[in-house]
Amino acid sequence: MKILIVEDELPLLESILSYFSEVGNICETASTYSSAYEKINLYDYDCILLDLGLPDGEGLNVLKELKKLKKNDGVLIISARHSLDDKLAGLDLGADDYLVKPFHLSELKARVSAIVRRKKFDGSNVITFNEITVDLSNMETSVNGNLLTLTKKEYDLLIYFLSNKGKVVTKSAIAEHLWGDDIDISDDFDFIYTHIKNLRKKFIEAGANDYLQSVYGIGYKFATV
Amino acid sequence: MKLADRYNRVNIITAIIILLITGVIYYVVIHFIFTEKLDRDLAVEENEIKQYVSTYRKLPLPASFLDQQVQYKQLDKNANGSRFFRNTTFFNAKENEAEPGRSLVTTILQGDKLYEVTITKSRLEADDLVRIILLITLGVTCLLLASLILINRFFLNRLWQPFYFILQQMKAFNLIKMSEIELNATKVDEFQELNIAAVQMASSVRQDYKELRSFTDNASHEMMTPLAVINSKLDSLLQAGPISEQQGLLLNDIYIAINRLTKLNQSLLLLTKIENKLISDLQRVDISELVDEKCRQFQEIFNESNLKVNVDLQSCEVEMSRYLAEILLNNLLANAIKYNRTNGFITINLRAGILEIINPGKEFALTEQHFDRFFKSAASEGMGLGLAIIKQICALYNFSVSYSFLEGNHCFTIVFKN
Repeated sequence: MKILIVEDELPLLESILSYFSEVGNICETASTYSSAYEKINLYDYDCILLDLGLPDGEGLNVLKELKKLKKNDGVLIISARHSLDDKLAGLDLGADDYLVKPFHLSELKARVSAIVRRKKFDGSNVITFNEITVDLSNMETSVNGNLLTLTKKEYDLLIYFLSNKGKVVTKSAIAEHLWGDDIDISDDFDFIYTHIKNLRKKFIEAGANDYLQSVYGIGYKFATV
Repeated sequence: MKLADRYNRVNIITAIIILLITGVIYYVVIHFIFTEKLDRDLAVEENEIKQYVSTYRKLPLPASFLDQQVQYKQLDKNANGSRFFRNTTFFNAKENEAEPGRSLVTTILQGDKLYEVTITKSRLEADDLVRIILLITLGVTCLLLASLILINRFFLNRLWQPFYFILQQMKAFNLIKMSEIELNATKVDEFQELNIAAVQMASSVRQDYKELRSFTDNASHEMMTPLAVINSKLDSLLQAGPISEQQGLLLNDIYIAINRLTKLNQSLLLLTKIENKLISDLQRVDISELVDEKCRQFQEIFNESNLKVNVDLQSCEVEMSRYLAEILLNNLLANAIKYNRTNGFITINLRAGILEIINPGKEFALTEQHFDRFFKSAASEGMGLGLAIIKQICALYNFSVSYSFLEGNHCFTIVFKN
C-alpha cells in the first residue's frame, strides 16, 4: 500500500516510517503543511496519516483540500488533542478514523490496514496468511479451507495480529485494542492471556502451524518461525 | 430585603423619631410660652389691683369677667403673706363648666387688714392651641410617611429598572455559549458605570476563558507529543531484534511507567476540562444501557478475578455528556474490581435513578479525604485521581455521590437527578 505520513515531530515520523516500511509498502513523508499540500496534489495514496498540529498550517485544511480535489484517499488523523470537537470536525470533513497521541504503532498499523482494506474493497475482502484465510465480509476464518469458530474477541485478536504480522505486539496494546483505552484495571494485562491461549489452541487443533510466539513478559509476535 | 425597602425603613423610622421629638419640643415650648404670658397677664392684673388699693384706699369689687375671676379673703394680720402661681380650675359661668385655669395668689395690705387675693384666668385657649399644633404635627407625619411609601412604590421602582435589567443580563450570561451582555441606555451615572463595568468584566472573562481553553489544549499537546515519541521508540526498539528475557522485563517496566504517565496526564486534563466546564456534549444517556455495555466490556476481567457480578437495572435516562458518563462508570467499576476481595462479588443496582455499586473490600472505610486529588491509601496502586474524577463529574451535573461502609462492604451511591 502507498502511505503518506504527515507529522512534524521528526522522531515520531521516523518511528512510524520504520514500522510501516516492509515489502509491498511505499511510504512518503511530509513534515509541513506545504509539503503535504504539494504531495496530495501530485499523488494518490491509499492512506494519509495526518497530524493536526502542523507548524505552518492547520492539518484539517489538508482534508478540505482532498475534498476539493475529489480524491478518495483514506485519512487517519493522529492528534495530541483529546478533544471531541476536533474529532467530530475531522470525521465530518471525511477523515476515516481518529487516533489520539500517544498510541502504539501496532494500533496505528491495524487502523491503517482497516482503512486501506475498506477503501480497496472490491468483492474479495480476504486476508490470507499461509494456510490461514480470513474473509472479512462475513467474518469467517478458515485453516486449509476448514471453517474455524472464533469468538468476537479471538477474531479481533487475529485481525490485529495479521495487520501486525512479524512485529512484536505488546500486551498493553492488545488490551487497549480489544477493550478500549479506558481500561485501567491493572498493569499486567494477564486477562488477555486466556484469549491468546484459546486462539492458539483452536489453530493448532485445526492443523495450522503455531505462529504465535510469546516475547518475554512483554507481548506476542505473530510470524512464521 | 430589597434595597429600596431597607432605605425606606430607615427613612420612615428616622422621620417618625424626628417628628415625635419635634412634637414634644413644640408642646413643651409653646406650653411654656403660654404659661409665661398668662403669668404676665396675671401680674398686670395684680398691679392694677394694687394701684386701685393705693389710689382709692379700698379693694376693688371682686369681679368676674369672661376669662378672669378675682377673689379676696381676709387673712390673720400676723399671717405670712406669700406670692405664687398655680394651676387650678376656672369655672366658666357662661358655659357653666369647669375649665383648666391658672391662678396668681398674692397678698395685699389695705389699711391694717391683710387680704389674700386670688386672680384666676382660663387656660382653655392656650390648651386648645397646643392641641391643634400637636394635631398638625401628627398630620404632617402621616402625610410624609404616605408620600415616602408612594415614592418607593412607583418612582424608586422605575428608577431601579436599569439595575434590574443589567442584573438579568448578568444572570443569563453563559460563558460556554459565549453570550453577550445587552445594554439599556440610562441617564443615571451609577447605572452607566455599572453597565460599562459589566460589559468589561464579561469580555475579560471571555478572554480568560479562551486563554484557559487554549492552555488546556496546548498543555495536552505539548505533553502528549513527547509521550508519543517515547512510546513509538519503545515499539521500534521491540522490533529491532531478538531481546533477552532481562531486556524484556526492563522494557515492560518502561511501558508500564509510560502508560501510567499517559493516564495521569489524561486524568489531569480531564479534571481541568470538567472544572472549567469545557465538556458540553449534553445528550440523553440511558445509564442502564451503559452499565450493561460496561459489564460486557469488563466481563473478562470479572472472570479473571473470579468476581460474581449481580446486576439489577431499571431504565434511567440522564441528561449528560456520554463521554463523562462512560468515564464515571469506568472509574466506579474499576474501583470495585481493584479493591475487591478474592472470590468476591460486585452488586450493581439501578433503581429510581439511584445507582448503587457494592463490593466487599479491605476491612476499613474510606474517608472524605479519599475523594481529594492524589490522596490514596497505602494499599492503593492507582494514582489517586479516580475518586476525584467521580466527584467532579457528579458535581458538574449536581448528582449526589455518597459512600458508606456496611458490614465490610464498600457502597457507592449516586443519585442522578436532573
